[in-house]
Amino acid sequence: MFFQQIINGITLGSIYALTAVGYTMVFGILELVNFSHGSVYMFGAFLCLTLMTALGLGFFPAFIISIVITGMLGIVIDRLALLPLRRKNAPKVASLISTIGISIFLQNLVMVMWGSETKNFPLALNLGHIQFNSFRISYLQMIILLTSLILMMGLTLLVKKTKIGKAMRATAQNMEAAKLMGINVNLIITFTFFLGAALATVAGVMVGMYYQSVDPMMGFMAGLKAFAAAVLGGIGVLPGAILGGLIIGVSETLAAGYIHSGYRDAIAFAILIAVLLIKPTGLLGQKVQKKV
Amino acid sequence: MKKVFVFSLLMMVVLSVLLAGCSTETAAAPDATEEITIAVAAPLSGDYAQYGNAFRRATELKAEEINAAGGILGKELKLTFLDDRNDAREATNVAQRLVGDKKVLGVIGHFSSTASLAASSVYEEGGLVQLSPTTSHPDFTKQGQYMFRNINTQAVEAPIAADMVVNLMDKKRIAVIYINNDWGITARDHFVEAAEALGGEIVAEETFIGGQTQDFTSTLTSIHSKNPDIIFLGTFYAETGMIAQQMKQLGYDYPLAGLSSLYNEELIKLAGDAVEGLYMTSNFFPGDERPAAKEFVDKFRDAHGQVPNQFAAVAYESLGMLAGAIETAGEDRAAIRNELAKIADYEGVTGSITFSKDRDVIKEMSIIKIQNGEFVIAQ
Repeated sequence: MFFQQIINGITLGSIYALTAVGYTMVFGILELVNFSHGSVYMFGAFLCLTLMTALGLGFFPAFIISIVITGMLGIVIDRLALLPLRRKNAPKVASLISTIGISIFLQNLVMVMWGSETKNFPLALNLGHIQFNSFRISYLQMIILLTSLILMMGLTLLVKKTKIGKAMRATAQNMEAAKLMGINVNLIITFTFFLGAALATVAGVMVGMYYQSVDPMMGFMAGLKAFAAAVLGGIGVLPGAILGGLIIGVSETLAAGYIHSGYRDAIAFAILIAVLLIKPTGLLGQKVQKKV
Repeated sequence: MKKVFVFSLLMMVVLSVLLAGCSTETAAAPDATEEITIAVAAPLSGDYAQYGNAFRRATELKAEEINAAGGILGKELKLTFLDDRNDAREATNVAQRLVGDKKVLGVIGHFSSTASLAASSVYEEGGLVQLSPTTSHPDFTKQGQYMFRNINTQAVEAPIAADMVVNLMDKKRIAVIYINNDWGITARDHFVEAAEALGGEIVAEETFIGGQTQDFTSTLTSIHSKNPDIIFLGTFYAETGMIAQQMKQLGYDYPLAGLSSLYNEELIKLAGDAVEGLYMTSNFFPGDERPAAKEFVDKFRDAHGQVPNQFAAVAYESLGMLAGAIETAGEDRAAIRNELAKIADYEGVTGSITFSKDRDVIKEMSIIKIQNGEFVIAQ
């Protein structure tokens, strides 16, 4: 039972990690806690499902189209709800509230468009499992963990090694100075939002498939847990999102399995608070110089 | 440009002729100048809109039948629909409005225990009948003298389910998973008590937060270590789909049983063969062979193009009972209440209905199961 619980925990953790990678990337670039991430994640999953069921597309074409469309939705969100605030130099908290508004708007939009019922998501990648003596691992579980690792590494390379990554880091450090150096700051931010929404879709679709169901509220708790995972690992630090996700997933599972299923979230968040009390920047976070 | 304009003008003329044609056809049979008003208060928008709309479709159907048969006291029955959005505060507002409107003689509603309980004190004070088709919380009818319900409380249903598990399915070692809210806890308490009295043994009790918990693997793994004969679910269909799927993915194969809350076609779509063989209690089953039920299902299907669910069934017969009470009592709120309380052996679509002195009902329940991807009668 113990091994199975650990596997359960790692899978749950890699789901949180997958969602948290997108969260932490947007924060790393814009210093914006993007609360619409969970809703975009849900929207991506619904879109992929609709493309598969209503248009009869195969899983991979539907997956890719939904990533692109949801990515564009990310750009629209930025243009409509966040860019006007940046133009007016509104305080950061205004943008944060704006993302909460977007989140509620998206949830209601999906309810109106697709109804509020829980819907079945087909298990398109049914690859079976490996049976060990007392426990089993499915290939889908491994794919979820691998996807989050690959995305984390890919994003790290993108941010650290490419030209656009350099521009992203410059924008993160100082928007005005980056503008003076000839960087098209708005384009960089647009790109960041595209990437964030695309990552959310990858996570939403994988999770929808793993649980074989999607519902309009699925992004709420997932977003909160992913945010907690990102903070635990050190927000803005990509490997931190993976580590944070795994710790929350495993501790939650063990709490539910060995202590009491009613206290699973309470115990997971108690661990989060304890870590932050000891290391306020998160496990892998470093003290950043405050911008002036 | 001009063509488009001419075309749209033409369309408008055609449409207005058509509409005018409709309006002349719908003259009501009973005396339309005098009306009897009954209110239906339910969530017509928001998360629970599907349930409110089941109320609406069923009561509209019943009202049509009543009017076709000459109305109530020779007057046309008019329904007025109010949306409480399944919100306790909104339900109270709705109740306030209805109590103040002297034309309203009775209320069918509300949907959830939360909304019904919140609104009950207003109805009690205004002396207006509140007949809820679906409120199963034990405290509801204790709020006053004007509260009625047309559904079994968990005190009735859970022991039936316990009998189903222990005797019909012959499973003694039972693991329970229940939703952590008022309803789930009440269901668990009554089920556990009854199952133990029948000789069953509860080997595990696990809970979760509805609408938030998606991952049941840890719960299922720890249940597996207790080696039960069966898993009993005090849950709704959405999480039941996830529980069944995840159980299958983990490679565990336990029989499942649950309450009438699981009855939804979506469950089979959600979980496919993972819920094959699941047993549950049921208030109303569309495949029911009794004539009253059959007739209702056929009429509903003709009117709305879909099979009615249990929520539609209980709303349909609730309106029937209330209309009957008004027919005998006349247009007086207190007299209607007293008449309704006397109802015994009313032949409804879910079976025979009698109100107890506490204005609760005790109804028979059928046992259904999922077989070859369909709900069928098990007993």
